[in-house]
Amino acid sequence: MAGEIFRLIRTPVIAFIGGFLVVGGWIWAPKISNLVQGLFSGGPSVSMFADTNRIGRPETAPVVRSCIFKVMDLGPDAKMEPSAAYFVLKAGSMQAKVSAMLGKSDRWSESQTLNLANTWGELASCIYALDDRELCDPDNRAAAVEATTKFFAYAKQTGASAGKPAISASDARVIENVSDRLLLMLKNHRRYGTLVGADFGSFAPAEIMQVMRSEQATRDICKR
Amino acid sequence: MNFLVRVAFVLGGIFLGVNLINYFVLGHSGDYLPAGERMGEWREAKIRAACYPALEQPERDGQLPKLSTDKHRVDWRDLDRAKEMTAALNCYLVTHPNAICERNNRAYIIDYINRYFAKFDEMMNTAKRYGESEMSTVRDLWDSPRNRAINAALMMDTGNGRLIKADFGWTVPAAMKPMFDRYNGTSDNCPRA
Repeated sequence: MAGEIFRLIRTPVIAFIGGFLVVGGWIWAPKISNLVQGLFSGGPSVSMFADTNRIGRPETAPVVRSCIFKVMDLGPDAKMEPSAAYFVLKAGSMQAKVSAMLGKSDRWSESQTLNLANTWGELASCIYALDDRELCDPDNRAAAVEATTKFFAYAKQTGASAGKPAISASDARVIENVSDRLLLMLKNHRRYGTLVGADFGSFAPAEIMQVMRSEQATRDICKR
Repeated sequence: MNFLVRVAFVLGGIFLGVNLINYFVLGHSGDYLPAGERMGEWREAKIRAACYPALEQPERDGQLPKLSTDKHRVDWRDLDRAKEMTAALNCYLVTHPNAICERNNRAYIIDYINRYFAKFDEMMNTAKRYGESEMSTVRDLWDSPRNRAINAALMMDTGNGRLIKADFGWTVPAAMKPMFDRYNGTSDNCPRA
């Protein structure tokens, strides 16, 4: 009976999927491609393909609790959970991402991109400045991965818009310094075994993947 | 015959799809509670609107759940939801103890009780990953004076037959099973109109 049911629905389902892929792919392929690129231009939250034992929830990471209010000034009266402040930062990133997808490129959106690059960069620097073993915790590792990925993605966007009269030389230098510092930290953590290429997923910025590929783990500081 | 089977498959697929979307996407789990003379239409429950003021400024209520420590892994959205659900259920069961006697209210409240315990279970499952100390933090969070009042009200409502096991159908929350086992067969003491 089950075999009959399967045979009965198999042909129409295959025909429908096949038809959809051919016709839909032909019509929508360029749009889908742009959408996927746009979605990941700000860096994925955390890799969808990462090992869940290695990558946890960045918003509840203890390192975010230690660092988020150092990089985000919400005013003296703002009483907020660190995970909520992290959410605010991510929501700002989402807004910038949507502006970028819509092709908006004015002074405001460019300065917002620069601010986001700086904020994610400061957050990543603060996380890496803590004890190296902190990144053995999956939530902390997820926060480090997300902050680093987002920094490089926004830094790239500011660089891309540098041809236009947007980012000043001093801003570019600041971004470059943070970038160099983070790459150095990434190299160290790659050697310590606290970060591996798979943690960053397939859509990670090229700078990160290059470090992950070129360096080798020399020890595992998470093993006790 | 072949044509009829195909039509039945298409209609069955549509029926199943619509119900899955209704339950999992729209979250209308109240539609799937057992029907009967005790249960009304959850959408028509007046208690829902009557309790809106209780949800307006939960931060002013010092008896709602709060975290006992700064070192926790509770997401702020879960924390807000725990407060909101506690404030609402406290209003449905404690502030308005007779609301559950009305059929529509009963359907809505039972659905809400299911959601309340499901949220607790979900937060405990997340906390399990972090060990006993995190589980204890979540347990403490859900043990505020309002949560204890809700538990007492649930105990009383099962004791006096205002809530019975059959009202929940196949979705009896684990925390309520001992109460139903204890008060099995108790008759309803709701005031008759």
